[in-house]
Amino acid sequence: MTLEESRTRYDGQAPPDRPVIAIDGLVKSFDGRVVIDNADLHVLPGAIVTIIGQSGGGKSTLLRCVNLLERPDRGSIDVAGEPVFAGTRVVCRDLARLRQSVGMVFQRFNLFPHLTAVENVMLAQMKAAGVSAPAAIDNAVRLLRRVHLAHRGLAFPDQMSGGEQQRVAIARALALQPKVLLFDEPTSALDPESTREVLQVMRELSDDGMTMLIVTHEVPFARRISDSVVFLDGGRIIEQGTAAEVLDRPTQQRTKDFLKTFDDPLT
Amino acid sequence: MIHWLQAHGWWPFHVHWSEWTGQLLAGLLRTLGYTAAGFTAAALFGLVLALMRMSRIRLVRIPAAVYTELFKNIPLLVIVFVLYFGLPETKSVFGDWVVLGTFNAGALALAIFYAAYLSETFRAALAGVHDGQREAAQALGLSRWSIFAHVVFPQALRLALPGTNTMLVDMLKSTSLLITITAGELMSVGQSVSSQTFEVMEVYLVLAAIYFAMCYPLSQALLWLERRVRAGAALSLRRHRRLRTARRLLATVQPAATAQPGGTA
Repeated sequence: MTLEESRTRYDGQAPPDRPVIAIDGLVKSFDGRVVIDNADLHVLPGAIVTIIGQSGGGKSTLLRCVNLLERPDRGSIDVAGEPVFAGTRVVCRDLARLRQSVGMVFQRFNLFPHLTAVENVMLAQMKAAGVSAPAAIDNAVRLLRRVHLAHRGLAFPDQMSGGEQQRVAIARALALQPKVLLFDEPTSALDPESTREVLQVMRELSDDGMTMLIVTHEVPFARRISDSVVFLDGGRIIEQGTAAEVLDRPTQQRTKDFLKTFDDPLT
Repeated sequence: MIHWLQAHGWWPFHVHWSEWTGQLLAGLLRTLGYTAAGFTAAALFGLVLALMRMSRIRLVRIPAAVYTELFKNIPLLVIVFVLYFGLPETKSVFGDWVVLGTFNAGALALAIFYAAYLSETFRAALAGVHDGQREAAQALGLSRWSIFAHVVFPQALRLALPGTNTMLVDMLKSTSLLITITAGELMSVGQSVSSQTFEVMEVYLVLAAIYFAMCYPLSQALLWLERRVRAGAALSLRRHRRLRTARRLLATVQPAATAQPGGTA
């Protein structure tokens, strides 16, 4: 059985005008401290949306609410036209299938250390999507080629550089043919050379039309590939618009102050 | 050679061991039987206890913690005696099943005692698997069972193997305590030989050699296994085959595939 055959997926690709991710009025708090405050965010098919902001500003939490790794307090989330969260409760009928529709790449890679790169990419195909082993191997090899890591397919995570691990993590996230990829600070734990390798793969994905929601501190990269940039501060979306609007001509003082730190961290 | 040594008075043994070979072999097999049964039960029970101790529900967590602390702090011999000599006294209340017999009482005592220690090893190993691993598996849509079976357990096993292996060798040696219930294992056979030959020193030195000959290769084999598992070696034929297929496919030279939106190459 191939991946295509095995899937009765979230209903197809969302129409071009219909967001792949629609977040409305989202609120999330931890121990009474509000970390997401009434956030609205729509991600259209094929769009690259980048979330920037200070550490602890709620960026990762917002991302993690999309695939319900964090459960929001209230608001609504739709993924690929399917309601996931509404009001104060999870309305997603099949959480596993939702998560297969939303690939996620973590800051710390989180590859499975007991498996080789190729097995990391195979695992979810076989155990979550019910793909046969030969088809999963075939698909994993092709995905490793896509992230330029075919030569490292049989390496274990601890034998790979950070950049290689993150590219395997991207291949793993792609393995279930997600509708959208979530990137949670994918380069924050990497040296400049590894960062370049990972950003190169992400740019290739964007060129191929992959819908992506990215939390990053790489402002130049965000400027280059984003269709839309969101500035999140204290759990609130302060400003959002095109990359040029938010990054080059911000209207809010908080955004200006934040962006200024990238020019000179000590100012 | 033996005759020559005997003729010159250099043969160190006074016991005619060839007469005891059958009994020694039976004792050896019984020792291995106690170890296999006791360890299998202890490992399974220890894993259940470890999972219970990691539960968020207090009613599940507390009994497991009480059990572990209780049996970690009671000597094995006391458990053996309670099961073998004590339980049958309650026959009139609980029925015939409390008369366990030598093998059942011995193996059960080993299981009860070592499960407490193994649960600690397993708990530490399960807790040692980084939360990010569970999270990554969740994000891939794996079920709770798949997360445990394919992500958490294999990693916990790697962490637990050194402690678990030590316990296995320790249990094999501890079967000698079952001499107190005439369990028919190696030590009991040794006692029988020494009481009939009065060659106490020789008999117990030979027993020591037999135990060493079992335990040393076992611990070395387990060390080898530990190293293999840590190195991520394919221990199953199925995994070996998959990796071989992957190696063959990875070796074929192909241009990098073109990515498709929302899909694989």
